[in-house]
Amino acid sequence: MNTKSYFFQSFAIVALAFVAFIGFKQILPDKIFPESKVDSKNVLVDSLLLESFEKESVSKKGDSADADKQAQQNIVFNSNEGIEFPSETFDDYKGYQYLISFYDKLYQLEKHPEAKVRIAYYGDSMTDGDLIVQDVRNNYQERFGGTGVGFVSISSESSASRASVKSLSSKNWKAQSYLNVKKPLSPFGVNGHVFFANDKSNTTWVSYEAGLSKFATSLDNPTLYYGKSSKSGKVNFIIGKDTISKNLAPNNLVNTIKVTSKSVKGFKANFVHADSIPIYGFNFDNGRGVHVDNFSQRGNSGMPISIFDANVMQSFNANLKYDLIILHYGTNVLNYGTKNYSWYGKGMTKAVNKIKASFPGVSILIISTADKSTKYDMQMKTDSAVVPLVKAQKRYALETESGFVNLYTLMGGDGSMVKWVDEVPARANKDYTHFNQRGAKAIGGLLYEQLNKGYEQYKVLREKREAGIKKGKTVRKTNTDSMSVINDSVDE
Amino acid sequence: MITIDSINDWFVQNFGALTLEQVKGWFIYNPEEKLLFNTGLFLGLFLVFYFVYAFLRKTFYLRLTYVILFSLFFYYKSSGIYFLLLLLSSVVDYGLSQIIYNESVKTRKKIYLIISVILNLGLLGYFKYMNFMIVTYNDMFHGNFELHDIFLPVGISFYTFQSMSYIIEIYREEIKPTKNYIEYLFFVSFFPQLVAGPIVRAKDFLPQIYQKLNLTKADVNNALFLIIGGLIKKTVISNYISVNFVDRVFDTPMSYTSFENLMASYGYAIQIYCDFSGYSDMAIGIALLLGFKLPANFRTPYKSVSITDFWRRWHISLSTWLKDFLYISIGGNREGTFAGFLFPSLFFFGLLLWGITNSAESIIPLVIAVGGIVVFCLSFLLSSKLKQTMVTNFNLFTTMLLGGLWHGAGAQFIIWGALHGLALAVHKIFVELFPSKKESNGLSTIWKFFSIVLTFHFVVFCWIFFRAKDFDTAIQVINNIGQLTFEPDHWQTIILGYKNVFLLMLFGYVWHFLPEVVTAKMKLIFDKTPLIGKAIVLGFVYWIVYATAVAGSQPFIYFQF
Repeated sequence: MNTKSYFFQSFAIVALAFVAFIGFKQILPDKIFPESKVDSKNVLVDSLLLESFEKESVSKKGDSADADKQAQQNIVFNSNEGIEFPSETFDDYKGYQYLISFYDKLYQLEKHPEAKVRIAYYGDSMTDGDLIVQDVRNNYQERFGGTGVGFVSISSESSASRASVKSLSSKNWKAQSYLNVKKPLSPFGVNGHVFFANDKSNTTWVSYEAGLSKFATSLDNPTLYYGKSSKSGKVNFIIGKDTISKNLAPNNLVNTIKVTSKSVKGFKANFVHADSIPIYGFNFDNGRGVHVDNFSQRGNSGMPISIFDANVMQSFNANLKYDLIILHYGTNVLNYGTKNYSWYGKGMTKAVNKIKASFPGVSILIISTADKSTKYDMQMKTDSAVVPLVKAQKRYALETESGFVNLYTLMGGDGSMVKWVDEVPARANKDYTHFNQRGAKAIGGLLYEQLNKGYEQYKVLREKREAGIKKGKTVRKTNTDSMSVINDSVDE
Repeated sequence: MITIDSINDWFVQNFGALTLEQVKGWFIYNPEEKLLFNTGLFLGLFLVFYFVYAFLRKTFYLRLTYVILFSLFFYYKSSGIYFLLLLLSSVVDYGLSQIIYNESVKTRKKIYLIISVILNLGLLGYFKYMNFMIVTYNDMFHGNFELHDIFLPVGISFYTFQSMSYIIEIYREEIKPTKNYIEYLFFVSFFPQLVAGPIVRAKDFLPQIYQKLNLTKADVNNALFLIIGGLIKKTVISNYISVNFVDRVFDTPMSYTSFENLMASYGYAIQIYCDFSGYSDMAIGIALLLGFKLPANFRTPYKSVSITDFWRRWHISLSTWLKDFLYISIGGNREGTFAGFLFPSLFFFGLLLWGITNSAESIIPLVIAVGGIVVFCLSFLLSSKLKQTMVTNFNLFTTMLLGGLWHGAGAQFIIWGALHGLALAVHKIFVELFPSKKESNGLSTIWKFFSIVLTFHFVVFCWIFFRAKDFDTAIQVINNIGQLTFEPDHWQTIILGYKNVFLLMLFGYVWHFLPEVVTAKMKLIFDKTPLIGKAIVLGFVYWIVYATAVAGSQPFIYFQF
């Protein structure tokens, strides 16, 4: 019958469907989309990360009981050059004490504006496109002076998204990255990459153009960095209508050629007969104030730093003179289904020790992973691996005597990424991992703020010391390696 | 043996322990958990609601009041205290409509109409466009007005338009007003279409209130078929591909390859269709289960052979609303009015200004600006009925500009509307200059295929502006796609990397382009399935929705080529 009311049958269908759903839920799998592992040579993966994860994940359990005990324990610092920051708890660890040499250089710069301070900021995709780093750089240059974006690679996967300096390069460069190459043809540069102009029939070129950053509206003292080779080659620099031809003399581990001593808007470099000469990139700085190099590499866990060649790095350091090395990693080790990060701590300890061997006396700052959300029961929440990872990062920061920024708590702690994504206007992307321009600016500001808090405290302590010297003599220590909680120093 | 305890255990195992807090949560507004049709909570509430509704089917005011209360609760769950705004605006609109109906002097009638339009648009304007206007003003004149902290009440764009249609139709004497406020409130607050359309017209809906409530087997079949399709489109296809692919690419287009940008654009086209039409289908289906027939809102729009055709198939309730109440009000194809000339002129003036200010850096913006103006002028200068075509095109362009702005407060929506307005004008002059011959042969099939492909790609191109968070991002996506090179092995790697996403996209497009014969067949089979079979099918779809909702997001993949 067509005219009969069908309401109760209709209700029955909807209600029975609910019963059927309960049945399906019992017998069918929980997940509809299989999480397929992508296995391809074209996917960017940190090979060292995969290796050490596979090696270590089978071996042993975590040491969470120890960690809980550690949480409230006092960390007492020994004085360095008569300066001693107050003691801290593990929970709240910042380690300003280990940034004293950097703070000292900043202090000198504040006294003598013609001095310079250099920071290398190593990071993963969070800092792609100069996000976060450009904001740290701007903050420092605003206060301490300095112009220029620092060292820039020949090319990177993210160069198209970088606004602080625009770079284009020909497709015929042969590039190797420390991310997935263990034994490069020539040692990696300070940026973790090495490039070769091997194409004999076509020119291999790169061009740079100043971006729109407040303190980088021109390219100051552009200088080419290249490595050692048995062959020689040539490079033509094209600035506007002028072409300057220079010979490459690859005699030392690291060599430099100044493109021009002027500030230019842009230039192009054509490499001719330069095969087998390792090319690293260009440095742009005005020679005074603060300069911050962005060495971002998406997919990086940070561990590949341990395969750096310390001798080559020392040669880089002789030219660039680093005062602070920042290591900002963690995002890429969150998705391994583990909460035990001792394997990662080991790998990163090796990386930090390599930094120490490469840049003797430099201050090191570890920045933890930011908050990241994952779906649990239809709701986005802080990934359960974030807190254990932050703890592991704090531990190796402490053990290697590095300063530490807990980016997870700094941005708001539990559930903060969801807030940053949902906010209007949003400050992070829908992947619940990466910040957008606006969020990166906020993060850059927060990082600078924490570093600066330490610096202001340092100045107070320093003044106290000066006052003390006037009263009597102080004890001078030559070594900074001493700490009451843990004494674990590893040497290569 | 079944004991109370064992039942309890089974319940806890399957649904989790139920706490008082959770039960409270079902009834209290939570801005983070909106009551959408595709949530489990809605299903539960609806089941209870529907059971009682079936018993009330023979009553009139009791039933209306019952539905109104549920609708208000539904709205409260989505917008909190702002359900009072819905009530308030309905009281005002009802009052004004009574006055207009009872007023016999034409000019006074008009004054009351204008008051009501101003009130409605003012409300919409404040909640939706206030901050946009402040930002625009601050940018243009370096002002620094503070932004207002405004909550956008869910569905305000829909119910404002719906109550405006009621008043205007009374003014035009197309309908008689409802007998009392209850009936009017039922029409405005009817929950199936309250928050996301379709925009139901008073003259289509009101007569249904007074009819004897009836629900046939065929109605239920249609309703369930729509709900099943809607659930799959909205929660499976649209949600999955947006979270796992499209959003990421549009967040930072320069971090992705050209092919990924292109696929994200195609992906967004199917995503937004599945999102809009899926939710509409669910609304129409649910209304039908209650015995109310709402008109179809989407008719496979990407099968359109021209942009004019597209607007007859895309979001039909909106485009007819705009045609009847905006386009016709500003003169339609009859006369030019101040409003009809104002907005296009402002737009082209702004475009020209943008081209000139950027001409120092690049000549392209100026070329685009001048090009746009020339094309628009040619669209009526070439016409044999110059004056009429000019008026029509200006009014059409105004409609599309404002229609674009209706979708959201942002310049990108204006650009999107302008592109469509321009395309409509171009299509009209094309048809006038090259009228189609009425013969069907191989050539016309090829021509039809070509027209569909061209229309589809134009629409996808416009969606880029619609989706991108700002103009620069849209340009980045377009530039990036422009650098696409033919590298099938790279493409294959990317497709394998996002296997689930691409499979769903393919499924969405295949479904969309299925010949109508096939969909009709599917419907026929569904109709013939016994009651229990339908329940099992629907239950399986519930499970798909559930399993998709709990599926974790796809981890990041970085390609290097």
